[in-house]
Amino acid sequence: MIEVSALAKVFHVHKKAPGLKGSLKALFRRERIEKAAVKGVSFRVDEGEIVGLIGANGAGKTTLVKMLAGIIHPTSGSAKVLGFTPWERDNRLRRQISLIMGQKAQLWWDLPAADCFLLLREIYRVPEPQFRETIDYLSGVLDVRKELNVQIRRLSLGERMKMELIAALLHRPRVVFLDEPTIGLDLSAQRAIRDFILEYRRLHRPAMIVTSHYMEDIQRLCERILIIREGEFVYDGPLSAVVQRYAQSKVIRAHLRRTPEPVKVDGDLKALGELVECSTDQICLRVPRADVARASARILERYPVADLAIEEMDIGTIIERIFRERGEVGGLRGPAPAAPGAATGGKPATPAGEP
Amino acid sequence: MRPRTFLHVLSVELRSQMSYRADFWINAFVGFLAEFGVTYFVWQAVFRESGKPIIGGYTFDGLVLYFLAVVLLGRLVSGREFEGQVCTDIYEGTLNRYLVFPASFTAFKYAQRIGNLGVAFAQFALFGIATLLVLDLPETRVSMASVAMAAVATAGANLLYFLTDNLVQYVAFWADNVWSLEVAKRWFVLLLGGYMLPLSVFPDGVRGVLEVLPFRFFFEFPARVFLGEIPFVMWVQGLALMGIWGIVAWLLGRLLWHRGQLQYTGVGI
Repeated sequence: MIEVSALAKVFHVHKKAPGLKGSLKALFRRERIEKAAVKGVSFRVDEGEIVGLIGANGAGKTTLVKMLAGIIHPTSGSAKVLGFTPWERDNRLRRQISLIMGQKAQLWWDLPAADCFLLLREIYRVPEPQFRETIDYLSGVLDVRKELNVQIRRLSLGERMKMELIAALLHRPRVVFLDEPTIGLDLSAQRAIRDFILEYRRLHRPAMIVTSHYMEDIQRLCERILIIREGEFVYDGPLSAVVQRYAQSKVIRAHLRRTPEPVKVDGDLKALGELVECSTDQICLRVPRADVARASARILERYPVADLAIEEMDIGTIIERIFRERGEVGGLRGPAPAAPGAATGGKPATPAGEP
Repeated sequence: MRPRTFLHVLSVELRSQMSYRADFWINAFVGFLAEFGVTYFVWQAVFRESGKPIIGGYTFDGLVLYFLAVVLLGRLVSGREFEGQVCTDIYEGTLNRYLVFPASFTAFKYAQRIGNLGVAFAQFALFGIATLLVLDLPETRVSMASVAMAAVATAGANLLYFLTDNLVQYVAFWADNVWSLEVAKRWFVLLLGGYMLPLSVFPDGVRGVLEVLPFRFFFEFPARVFLGEIPFVMWVQGLALMGIWGIVAWLLGRLLWHRGQLQYTGVGI
């Protein structure tokens, strides 16, 4: 449903020196610099697939989504959404896609949501019975039926976001772009929106691209993720494989029974991994994946263990680490599409400039 | 865009505008009274101080009538409350919303603009009649025919104004903030369109040039048609010239729009 090949976007931005002198100088002459927001990315998304697009601020996520929604033109490369080039803005495509931007209100501020929906019904030519059915269903699921006749500007952020979702899905799009759909929402509103997105996917099988800074969004919604850093994909593959690939170690946490003598860690144990914590209550050791079984056995054998847990590194921490890493991780790749558990259509990321 | 969708957008905009009741009525009253009142007293002073019974071919009463028509019809043409919306959409990135709709942005904006004329229509209905009753003005040549002809001229002027105004607003694709350009354009248009002064006060050479430029069609032409000062043949000629300018503005607008799209970044507040 979405096919992207070597898509790139370069922005030209003006640079101004700070201070009054810089401002005065800029009145006559401004330095123009090129900023590559997206550097030749390639990927595809299939029907029913929710792909998480994640990256730090300014990594190029929103720029990529804007190109795929047809809002901005790329500098180079190509993309097909449902067989159309998005920035040519064919109405046949625009009737089948939707864009939700959590940071920008799409609805009309001064109108009640019900009036906005009526207008969208006209714009998208939604048949009356389908419109009634969809509004009834969506407002019920999202629990905003009572707020349908309230002006958008009088709604809480959570209610407004739910209305935005209804508005975006009224015409039952086959491709949905969700740019930070839960930003600023409280936990229950976030959960409601995630559940709703999953339910929509179950019913209509759209292709979805979700950008979010909340790992909870990504973990709940996406089987496959694209990690973008400085305009390039550094990972394209199943979410679960990120842990396998980039968390080289696990944490063994042993809770100890109370003993009269303080615990002494022998050198043999230290040789197995990095000692994170050691107290009379517990031993916490980070060990390479390959040594987990051996280290666990050694701890059980030598210490008065009451309970033992082997923990994966938190996925948010792993991804954050990938964001921070620079040149040295240029070779990071997701597993090949054929790898067990790989999401449909997942492809290895392509380095910048490579076709 | 389908006519039905166009009317729906128009209706939504009208409702949106009326959702601020206080602002609607304050705008309707103060907007007109302030503008027409200032014009009335300024020209009264000019006539009194000059001692001339006729200025630019108008008596004082004739001039009052001219400005009454210009102020009321001019608001229907310029849709002042709507000015700057396109460049604001570009600057603030709210254009994004329209670009994903399966509808023409220009048609959408034009429908919104017409819907936005609610205040101007209210003013025209209320004050047009009230002022004629309150002020002791001489008999005019306003007739059913001139009103019908003025309705067509005003509709055409509204569309022409929209198309030419877009040319300035699209500059926001390159310059981000075109507020100063908008202000300059407004003064230029008000002066050369016969809103600030009747065009008959300009020297003959200048008037000859203004006759063929599009500006007079915004204000002077519909007002004089309404007042019954433009014969049928000149009305047809005026509409034809207006149509030519409309096509030129539309073609230029399309060019700027398509070029501007390549510059658009969709960022904003």
